[in-house]
Amino acid sequence: MPWAVLRNTHIGMAVWPALVAPQCKGFEEDNQMIDTFHTMQAKLEVTPHLLRLGRLFSETVLIQVGDDEIYLTFEKGHVTQVTAGPSRKTPWRFALRTDADALAQFWQPLPAPGFHDIFGLLKIGRGSIDGDILCLVKNLRFFKEFMALPRPARKDAA
Amino acid sequence: MSIEPITGRYLTVSVEGAPRRIYFEEAGQGRPVLCLHTAGADTRQWRHLMNDTGITATNRMVAFDLPWHGKSLPPEGFETEEYLLTTEAYIETVLAVIKGLGLERPVLAGCSMGGRIALQLAALHPDKFSGFIAIEASDFQPAWYDIDWFHRPDAHGGEMGAALVSANISPFAPNTERWNTLWMFMQSGPGVFRGDLSFYTKDDSLIARLGDIDTGKTPVHLIVGAYDLTCTPEDAKRTADAIDGATLAVMDELGHFPMSEHPEGFLQFFVDALKRMPAAGTK
Repeated sequence: MPWAVLRNTHIGMAVWPALVAPQCKGFEEDNQMIDTFHTMQAKLEVTPHLLRLGRLFSETVLIQVGDDEIYLTFEKGHVTQVTAGPSRKTPWRFALRTDADALAQFWQPLPAPGFHDIFGLLKIGRGSIDGDILCLVKNLRFFKEFMALPRPARKDAA
Repeated sequence: MSIEPITGRYLTVSVEGAPRRIYFEEAGQGRPVLCLHTAGADTRQWRHLMNDTGITATNRMVAFDLPWHGKSLPPEGFETEEYLLTTEAYIETVLAVIKGLGLERPVLAGCSMGGRIALQLAALHPDKFSGFIAIEASDFQPAWYDIDWFHRPDAHGGEMGAALVSANISPFAPNTERWNTLWMFMQSGPGVFRGDLSFYTKDDSLIARLGDIDTGKTPVHLIVGAYDLTCTPEDAKRTADAIDGATLAVMDELGHFPMSEHPEGFLQFFVDALKRMPAAGTK
């Protein structure tokens, strides 16, 4: 069984993170990026306004970080699967492609110019977006705020 | 409780041969400073500066909502019209407001598309103004997005527009003002942001006119934020370099809507810009 499938996880949102996370942890503890997206998945569940904004968003999104591919399956604003790729069998609606260092800078509390927004990554040549861009734009606030979840909350934030 | 010194009234002028009922606000006394808002927004972007007593002690700050924006209604018959702002209509509107309000050679301060038109006016009608403050302004910016995204029956153009322009707001901006800034875009009328962007992203006529600007008669000062993805510091520098005598200030911690997204951070740059402009009554 290829490693990608071994690290494939299907996280039921109703039981995340208390029951499922510990069982899956052993398969992916070597993959910090997958862990980060699992953490984002859990953080989304405790961010009511984002769940409300994403209530009509049910799509699979490909996140490519360097050579690693991660498929995020959204169902009505919840992330129901975080799946490590590569996979030629997983259809996705749009893709965000960047690198680990750019994402690390993107997730800083006060990112440098260009690293402060996913479109900034495109502008400075550290990212690209392809696929159904209109689908992304229709759900842009939801997706951008989801991607920014690892960024520490600001002191003056509501 | 507090009541702000800003007052708002309405002015009806003729633009493109038809009446336009224009909402304007003002505060302060002294040198007239006419302020132009960005695409997809309105006069509220200027409220912080218009409430700053250090500025209003010697400056009469005036801002107005372009027709279709804020509290300025679209023209009669708009329901069958496709809104597409043009350089010509924008210039005619600004000049009509100056004449209607009796502003004597005001300083013109514009942001984004307002900065673009300020530079157009610096080239074409310098005699009507005493100086120009062009904020987040450049010679030309082609769209890296599809402007039709922002006016379609199956999605909310205002919400999409706000989500897009949030890319231009600095992470240093106070959260409250970030969202107040975005709220204006969310409120923008259907097709208005698209119509503004049509002007901003398709009309490149300013490029050939930059050399006509005479900063010896009317100073031109550009201000740009490092977090502005739409008009980058490189874009502003290219523009300033093409205007003999123009000056440029780069704000390291601000973005595309500095007077609105981070008024406290922008204040020093605007005060500096005003100091570069001729005093009231200077010919």
